[in-house]
Amino acid sequence: MTARGVARAVLLFCGFVIAVVLIWEGAKAIGGDPWRFRDGSGQEIVYMPPLRWEIVSDLSLPHVWEIWGALAAPVQREQTQSLAEYLVGAAIYTGREAALGFVAGAILGLVLAALFVHSRLAERALVPYVVASQTIPILALAPLIVFAFGNGVLGIVIVATYLTFFPVTIAALKGLKSSDPRALELMRACAASRWAIFWKLRFPSSLPYLFAAFKIAATASIIGAIVGEGNPGGSQFGLGRALLNFNEQFASGPAKLFAAVLASGLLGISFFLAIAVAEALVLRRRRSVRAE
Amino acid sequence: MDDAPIGEPMIAGAVTPGESQPWSDRGRHLLQEYLPAVGVFVGVVVVWELVASSLDLQEFILPRPSAIGTAFVAEWPILQTAAANTLFEAVGGLAIGVLLGVAAAFAVARWGRVRDVIVPVAIAISAVPIIALAPIMSNWFGILNPFAKMAVVILLVFFPIMINVVRGLTEVPAMAIELMRANAADEGEILRKLRLPNALPYFFTGLKVSTTLCLIGAVVAEYFGGSSEVLGRVIVQSSSRLRFDITWSAIMVTAAAGIAFYLLVLVVERLVIPWHSSLRELES
Repeated sequence: MTARGVARAVLLFCGFVIAVVLIWEGAKAIGGDPWRFRDGSGQEIVYMPPLRWEIVSDLSLPHVWEIWGALAAPVQREQTQSLAEYLVGAAIYTGREAALGFVAGAILGLVLAALFVHSRLAERALVPYVVASQTIPILALAPLIVFAFGNGVLGIVIVATYLTFFPVTIAALKGLKSSDPRALELMRACAASRWAIFWKLRFPSSLPYLFAAFKIAATASIIGAIVGEGNPGGSQFGLGRALLNFNEQFASGPAKLFAAVLASGLLGISFFLAIAVAEALVLRRRRSVRAE
Repeated sequence: MDDAPIGEPMIAGAVTPGESQPWSDRGRHLLQEYLPAVGVFVGVVVVWELVASSLDLQEFILPRPSAIGTAFVAEWPILQTAAANTLFEAVGGLAIGVLLGVAAAFAVARWGRVRDVIVPVAIAISAVPIIALAPIMSNWFGILNPFAKMAVVILLVFFPIMINVVRGLTEVPAMAIELMRANAADEGEILRKLRLPNALPYFFTGLKVSTTLCLIGAVVAEYFGGSSEVLGRVIVQSSSRLRFDITWSAIMVTAAAGIAFYLLVLVVERLVIPWHSSLRELES
């Protein structure tokens, strides 16, 4: 992506955020609870929205500035840690689990695809299950896996690995088979070893497919980590736990739950962006090699 | 296939040699194609059963297949109600999400400027773990209200459908459009005769992803609380009571529903777009 393209994407995203905030507060201005402010002298100013919609009441949809304020306030009464600090810590914790699962799943997927591309028997025996497992709701297994591996990080990492390796396997298999047949013939004619064919031809031609799968898997690994943490017997830390805890406190402080959801969303987008940046770097170099 | 299976050993007992009628060729081909997979399935079940019973393993995480079968029969009344409730959420959410996604795609594809803005944003939003919204939906619509779970499914399904259909409606060969314009076709005709048929394969791709997503959405939203007579709660509650035989039978029900949905979409796809090239590849 060019510098202009990046600037455009950033502008687009800012525009989108502003639009969401405007719609959010606009809906509250039409149908929300009374808005209360204090002016400089401590006098209370009340604005009465003309309609009453339950869905945009202060309990269902807190003001944007209340969520912002909650981020600065202590996470629990009589604690010094602010909600923002707590959520950043939780996001790093969850992000680390997801990243571990992502790396493990990506390696597993690549190894499996490399096996399938070299053995028709393995491909016929196992690929149907890899495909069929795409059609079943894998996350139904999450509570079981987390339980099996105790309260630690391992179970959650395994859920994330599990969610990552399917898209990577399928895409890598497609990508490893996508190399130019003439190039394959040429290398075989020159008696290139399977190893050389794999690293010099098959692997490079699978990269675009791999990055497409990595983008899906990046989100999937975070979903896996959050759902893993959110289960009974799951983690004491992380965003999944934060979501569950703040869900219980929703009646007294809805802003906290919204802040936790916001943190989850930002974590997902930053994983996605990291992959997109890596893709741009790797594939740009490849393109310049090809042009020479 | 670049790795032609020349000289690959035939699978023992796959076919009786010497038959040359076309139907037996077809049968041999099918056997060669599917026997390894069937073998793996039977092997795994048998080894699992034997290992679990001979080593007298604790029937904790991996109960024997026969134990799961027994639990499945014993718990069928509960599983049946739970499956009906969960499927209602999943299918309802899928239907609404697909309708909204397609409608949004038509609106977005119609105006090029809007598309340039919306599509990147939609891709970024689909990187957000939408599951995290499940607790908010429960608080909005009531924790016992099935629509709270449906809303999560709608959000999950909406983006893949919309992004795919927009691609299908817009990534039409430019030459075809020019040809139609040169023959004085109006935009309506181009839409009906070119864009819609072009979008159908993309739509079905999105729909296949969505059938899995709708079950994941419903089951995972149920993990976060709500009525106890749903598959997600059965899975969570039975596993916290260490009744993993029940957990597994609930997982099997969910998986069966997922596979059934997927096959249904495949059949419909075959009926609606028999001309599509990816189907022809499968048959060859």
